[in-house]
Order: sequence, then C-alpha cells, then structure tokens
Amino acid sequence: MWTATILSPSHPSTDSPVDLGFFFDPFSVPFMARALTTVLVLAVASGIVGVFINLRNLEFISDGLVHAVFPGLVVGFVASGTDGLLPGALVAGVLAALLLTVASRRGVGSDAAIAVVLAGSFSIGIVIVSRETNYVSQLEQLLFGGVLTVTPSQLTQIIIVGVVAVVLVVITWRRQLFLALDPVGSRAAGYRSLPTEIVLNCAIALLVVAGSQALGNLLVLALLVVPVAIARLLVRRLMLLAPLAIISAALAGWLGLVTSFHASISYGITASPGSLIVIILITLYAVALLGHLLVERIRTARRAVPHTCFEHTGQHPVLDLDQDVSARRRWSARFRRAV
Amino acid sequence: MTEISTDSAAIDLRHASFSYGGAPQLSDVTARIERGEAVALVGPNGSGKSTLLKGILGLVDVVDGEITVLGGSPREALRRVGYLAQLSEVDREFPISLRQVVTMGRYRSLGPFGWPGRRERELVDAAITRVGLAPHAHRRFGELSGGQQQRALLARALTVEPEILLLDEPFNGLDRANRSALLDTLNSLRAEGVTIVTSTHDLELAREVCTRAMLLNRTLIAFGSVEETLKLPLVERTFEGTVAHVDGHNIIPVPPEHG
Repeated sequence: MWTATILSPSHPSTDSPVDLGFFFDPFSVPFMARALTTVLVLAVASGIVGVFINLRNLEFISDGLVHAVFPGLVVGFVASGTDGLLPGALVAGVLAALLLTVASRRGVGSDAAIAVVLAGSFSIGIVIVSRETNYVSQLEQLLFGGVLTVTPSQLTQIIIVGVVAVVLVVITWRRQLFLALDPVGSRAAGYRSLPTEIVLNCAIALLVVAGSQALGNLLVLALLVVPVAIARLLVRRLMLLAPLAIISAALAGWLGLVTSFHASISYGITASPGSLIVIILITLYAVALLGHLLVERIRTARRAVPHTCFEHTGQHPVLDLDQDVSARRRWSARFRRAV
Repeated sequence: MTEISTDSAAIDLRHASFSYGGAPQLSDVTARIERGEAVALVGPNGSGKSTLLKGILGLVDVVDGEITVLGGSPREALRRVGYLAQLSEVDREFPISLRQVVTMGRYRSLGPFGWPGRRERELVDAAITRVGLAPHAHRRFGELSGGQQQRALLARALTVEPEILLLDEPFNGLDRANRSALLDTLNSLRAEGVTIVTSTHDLELAREVCTRAMLLNRTLIAFGSVEETLKLPLVERTFEGTVAHVDGHNIIPVPPEHG
C-alpha cells in the first residue's frame, strides 16, 4: 500500500526529550493529511450516530446495513471507478435502511430477515465484482478500503455524507432518545416511531457509506459500534457518550495512521492502516473494559461492607447474598449491552 | 373540574373493538367513564387491558364501534393524557438521570431544540416532588430501584398536566414503601379531579384506589361500582378458573370445579 517514492521522510532530530515529530510529521505529506482528515470526520460522525446504535441495540441491523451497502459499492465501482463508489453505496444504503426498518417493525423473524439481506447482498456484490478482470485487488480495495488513497473529491463527499448523517440524528435527537428509552411511552407522548426509525437507519446507512470508502466495507462496523461501546464503559452520562466516543475513534485513527506510516518507513512493513485503526480501537476497548471491571470490583467490595452491619444487627446474611447476585446481574447486563 | 365541560365524558366507548391487525384483541366494549372517576381494569393476562389503554391513546386501531376521549378522537386528546407504561417495556439501564427522564415529558411542547425554561423546570420539579423522589432527582435512572423507576415514569406522565392518567399495571413488583408512595400520589391526583384508568391484577388495590371497575376478558364482562363488580361470581367468570396470584396477595379464587 505504501510507495516509498512518495515519501520524503523528514525525520526530525532526536534532540528534544519528547519527540512529538514522530506523531505529527507524517501528516505533512498531503495524502496523509487527507487520510487524517477523513478519519477525524468519520470519528465525529460515528461518535454521534453511534450513540443511538448503542442505546437501541442496533448492532445487528447496522451489520445488515453494512453488507447491504456492498453491492452498491461494487456496482458503482464497476460503472465508473472510484467516483462511482459513493452514488452506488448511497442508493444501496438508503434502500436497505428503508427495507430493514420495515422488516424489523414487522418483528416476524427480523434477525432472519437481516441475515438474509446480509448474505444475499454480499454474494450479489461478489458475483458482480468477479466479472471484472483483476478482481481480487479490486475486491480487496472494497472490503478493506484505502484511507491513504482518498482523493480530494472523495474527501469532500465523505464530509458531506458525514455531515448529513450527523444532522439527521441531531435534529431528531429528542425523539430518538425517547424511542430508545421506551418505545410505547414515546408513541404515547405523540411521537410517531416509523419516521424516527427511518431517519436513524438512514443516518447509519450514510455513515456506512462514508466509512466504507476509508476503512472498507468489512471494517466499518467497528467504527459504528466500538467507539460508543468504549464510552459506555467509561461514563454513565448521556452527554459524555458522544464526546468520549469521538475522542477514542479519533485517537485510534490518528495512532493507526502514525503506526502504519512508521512501520512502513522504518521497518518496511506494509500494514493496512484501516486494519491498524481497528486494532487500536479494539485495544482501547479492552483497556476500557479492564478499567470498568476493576471499578466494578471495587464498588462490589464497598457494597459488601454492610455485610458486617447486618451481622451485628442479627439480620440474616442471605440479604447480602441477594444484593450481591443482583449487583452481578446488573453488571452482566451492562457488560452485554457494552459488548 | 367535573363541571367544566358538562356533557363530554372523559372516555366514551360505544361497542368499540380493538385490533393490532388480525382478529380483535378486545371486542364490543361499551362504557362511559366520567371525568374525575378512577376506574380499575381487571382481567387475566391477554384479556385486553393493555390493549384498551393503548386504544384510549390511539395507538391501537379501532376496527369497530367508536371511542371518544375528552370529546374528541384519541389522537386529538393525546396531549391531555398521561400514560405510564409497564416497566418491562422500558430500557432500565439507560444512561441518564432521573430528572432527565422526567424532563422528557416536556419534549413534545419544547420541540426538538427548545431549552426548558422556568415554567418547564418548575413543572418537572413539581412532578418529581409529587411522586416523592426529590432527594433522588440527580441520580442515574439505572441506579434506582424498580419501584423508584416506576415513580419516575409516573412523574414524567404528570409533567403534561394530564386530565386523564392511564396506568398499565403500575403496582407490579413494587415493595411496600413504593406501593404506598404510589397510592398516595394517585389518591391526591384523584382528589384534584384527574381521571384515572389503571389496569391491575390486584383486586385489593383496585378497591383502594378506584371507584369503579371494568372486568375484561377479550370483551367487556362487567362495568360498575367496585362493590358491585368485584364479586366472586363475576371475577370467576372473568378469570375463567385461571389462578392468578400477585405479589403474595391471594386474590383470585380458584373455582370449585377446578379446586
């Protein structure tokens, strides 16, 4: 993926104790700067849209959308190369968002419906792309993306699509929140749920479309799901979820690009930056999970203190056992939600 | 309150049938609920209690007959009706504070971006105080007990200053303290003339809160004063011999032929 000729590494002097140039210099190269911008735009969009993927447990629907976008990418690509990616994906994404919204409302085997869409659209996409000559490398490009080869016009497209996704969620924020907390209550309050669901699913589809070009169709799911899952482990305030998710996604994106750059320059290792970004994101998640588990441990230990009080008052310790069990149950529910 | 508009009942059902699509879930209900009344909906699981509540909200289609709420269609009346859903229908791990949950009750009038002004904040605070949760206002919703969450949702329903309050099994799974707190709130609302319609398994509570009771089992079995309707023969007919036991109350009698 790296071509050594493009790079004229201006390795800074190692005089300063902290060599910040290591982290910032790579982005003096235009395509690296574009890659960073792309990643930051995607971080912001996924941090905001992802909040409701998490709160509404839409991870599987998102996966369905991701795969449904694939044939769109392929058709667009076959029709007019890189410039066709976005229109193709856009059409497929919005169509799939509408279909999946209706399917999931019917409730009848909605998981099965998603799985059918997922497998079906993926195979259609592969059939189409395999008719092309040289299809393996094109397939690789579509599946794993090319954040380093994002052109200026592609970047503009990504920004526009990302902004639309964010705007859709922000203007429907309150009804999304109400629907996520309790669907019946929100309808009783006079909110219609169908438009709310369509808007959210379209926003997710748009994010998939924007992200697919940079991270590839296979890895974009990580961007939709993981940043907010990290935030959910760290805080319990709604208003902090999006900022924290954005920070973790941006951090992973930036570190991924830097790592990939230096791995290539210094060690000649060609590492796909998209994959590195996802690996770093997952690492951040693992760290957050560990921290979360530690904090829960300490909390449970503190909660166990009344144990002795009960014994003094002569109450049966069974009470505490119950408390412990319910705490554990609550924890595991939270864990499942976070995952 | 009762005298403000003289002839429109709070809820008027005339041979109304409700369906989610397919066969009616509840058919042929005729009843007139006056303003300021408190009515208990009693019946076994699947008897149509929740369906009737959702029908009054306009969330379930009326496939036959007619329903008017506060003199108009259910959708028109929606903003004057408060609704407390079953707790099982709510995401109980939601990462927001109790106060934020209650503020959601004002979202419809605030619109998508309107910032809660003084009046809004006062309404929210008053509702939280009313259900007795003022000391917990800033705690996380997920940290509250089930009973407290139930009361928080009631506070949310009260922020719309409802003329009719609909409650779906509000006493399910409540401990003694929460139960009496909820009872106090409901009784004080009744004293102010709010019309209350609540579904319940619990005949004791129906007697304590309500003036009238509606016995349902896929259709209307009986509707009348609590004393007249909550009698053994009618209750037996409603529950068709199914044994219902709720929160340790031994309420529903087992008919002799089964026992």
